[in-house]
Amino acid sequence: MSGFLTYCLQRFTPVLLLLAGVNAVNGQSQRFVHVAAGDYSLGRKGYINNPLRTVHTNGFDIAATELTNADFEKFVQATGYVTDAERRKNALVFIPGLREFRWLEDSTAFWRYPNGITRGGIADKMDHPVTTISYRDAIAYCDWAGVRLPTLDEWEIASRAGAPTTYFWGNEMTPLSSYANVWKGRDHLQADSTDGYMYTSPVASFKPNPWGMYDVYGNVFEYCEGRLPTDKAGSRVVHARGGSWWCSKNACSFFNSVDIGSVKRGASFSNLGFRVVKK
Amino acid sequence: MKYLMFVTAILGCLHLSAQEQGAEWRAPSNSSKAYGTYRNKLTVPPYGLARVTALIGKIPYAEDDSSPMSNKDYMSLSLREKFTYHMIHMEINAQNCDVRPPIQDEDKKIFGMMADGFSESVWSDRQVKFMISNRDSVMALIKESTDRSKRMGANYKMAIVEINGRELIPYIIEVYNRDKKDRDLLTLLMLLMKNNEYRPFMESQSFRKLYGADANYQSYIDYNKANEDLIIKRATDYYNTVRK
Repeated sequence: MSGFLTYCLQRFTPVLLLLAGVNAVNGQSQRFVHVAAGDYSLGRKGYINNPLRTVHTNGFDIAATELTNADFEKFVQATGYVTDAERRKNALVFIPGLREFRWLEDSTAFWRYPNGITRGGIADKMDHPVTTISYRDAIAYCDWAGVRLPTLDEWEIASRAGAPTTYFWGNEMTPLSSYANVWKGRDHLQADSTDGYMYTSPVASFKPNPWGMYDVYGNVFEYCEGRLPTDKAGSRVVHARGGSWWCSKNACSFFNSVDIGSVKRGASFSNLGFRVVKK
Repeated sequence: MKYLMFVTAILGCLHLSAQEQGAEWRAPSNSSKAYGTYRNKLTVPPYGLARVTALIGKIPYAEDDSSPMSNKDYMSLSLREKFTYHMIHMEINAQNCDVRPPIQDEDKKIFGMMADGFSESVWSDRQVKFMISNRDSVMALIKESTDRSKRMGANYKMAIVEINGRELIPYIIEVYNRDKKDRDLLTLLMLLMKNNEYRPFMESQSFRKLYGADANYQSYIDYNKANEDLIIKRATDYYNTVRK
C-alpha cells in the first residue's frame, strides 16, 4: 500500500507543482516548465543503457519547446557564429528514396538550408526547431544564451511527466500520432506527410505531455549531456533523445522515454536539434 | 464527484502499473552478450594495412567526426589498399539512432538485419561507388581474406549487401557450415534474396516476420535447425535461378 501511495505522490505531485511552474524567461522566447525537486524513477528493468533506477533532482526549468530557427538566428546575428556544417561542409540531409538509415551528403546544407539549398530554406519555418547543427553548435548557443543542455536524466524526468512507462501515456505506441511528428511510412523510399509534415513541424504543433512539454517525442532528436554505461572509455560520442520526424516504428523507434541514441559530436543532421535548461 | 475523481485516479494508476508489468525486460545473458560482441566484429584486411592505418591517422577531427581521407592520399592507394581502407574506415557520420541497444538472447535469434560493427559511422558515396565499380575484385578479396582469417566480419557481410554479391551465395553457405556460429551469414542470405525480390522468399512467413509491415530492425526468427535448413535451401534455390 505504501508503494502505491508513493507511486501516486510521484505521479501527481509534480503535476500540481507544474501549475505554478510554467513561466517565461527574460530575453528568451521559450517558455519553461519547472520540474520539482524530488526522486524520480527512470529507465527500464534490465536495459543496459538505461537501467531501472531512482534519481534525485534538486529541480530544474526546461524549455517547453525545442529551440527554434528564430532563436538560433538571434544567436548567429549577435555573434557571427559559423556552424560546423558551414565550415566543414559535412551535413547529412534527407530526401525520399533513400534506403533505411541512409542520408545524403550535401555540402550546401546548414541550419538555414537544413536539407540543402535545392530543398529550400527556413524563411517560412522560423518557428520550426533548428536542425543541421552539431552538438558543438548547440553548446555554443547555450554558452551565449546563458542556458545549458539537459542531462540525460533531466530529459527523461521531464519527458516521462511522472509516468513509469515507455511513453508518458503508457506502453502502447498507438497514441503517438497525437503527440509527435514522426515518419509513418513503412520505409523511406516514398515521401510521407500523413501527419502534415515530411520534415520538421512548427514547435508545439502536437499535443504536449502532461507537464506541458511539446515534441518530447518526434520532430527532432534533442542533444543531452551525459554518458551511457556502454560508452567506450575515452569515447567522445554524444547522445540525443526522443526520436525525430525521420523515425518510424520500423526503423529507429526511439520516440520514447527509454531509448538513447549516440552520434559523433561534429555530426550535423536535419533531424538533430535541442531544447535548453535554465542555468 | 470527488469520490468519482478519486476512483478514476486509482483506476488510472492501476492501469499504468499493469502496463508497466507488460514491459518486463531481462538483462542479456553472458552468452547473449558474447555473441553480440562476436557478430559486431570486423575483419581487418591485411593488404597494405600499416600504410592505410598511417594515412587514416592523418585525417583531422577523427575523434569527433567520421571524415574522409584526403583525395590526394586516397588516390595514392592501390586497389587492395583502398579495399583495406574501406573495410576499416567509414567516411561519414551515422545518424543518432543507428546504434542498437543490447539485445536479449541474441545468440538464439536469426535477425532480419545484420550487426554493422561500425557504430557511429557509415560508408560514403565515394566508398560505395568504389565497391560497386570493383565488385569482382571486392568479392575476390573478401573470399581470400575470409579464408585466411577463418571468419567473415560484419564489414565484409555489409560490403556483400552493398555490391549485391549474390554470386557469393554458395561461398557464404560454405563459410556458415564451417562452424555454424555466425547467424548473420543466414541473415546475409536472406538480405540477398530480399534485395533481389526472390518471390518464394518474399511470400514466406519468415519474410513477413522479418521485413513485413510490422517488422523493425530487431525483428528475428528463432535460431533452430528447421529455420537454418530452410534459409539455406531457399538461398540455394535462388542461386540456381540466377547463376549463368
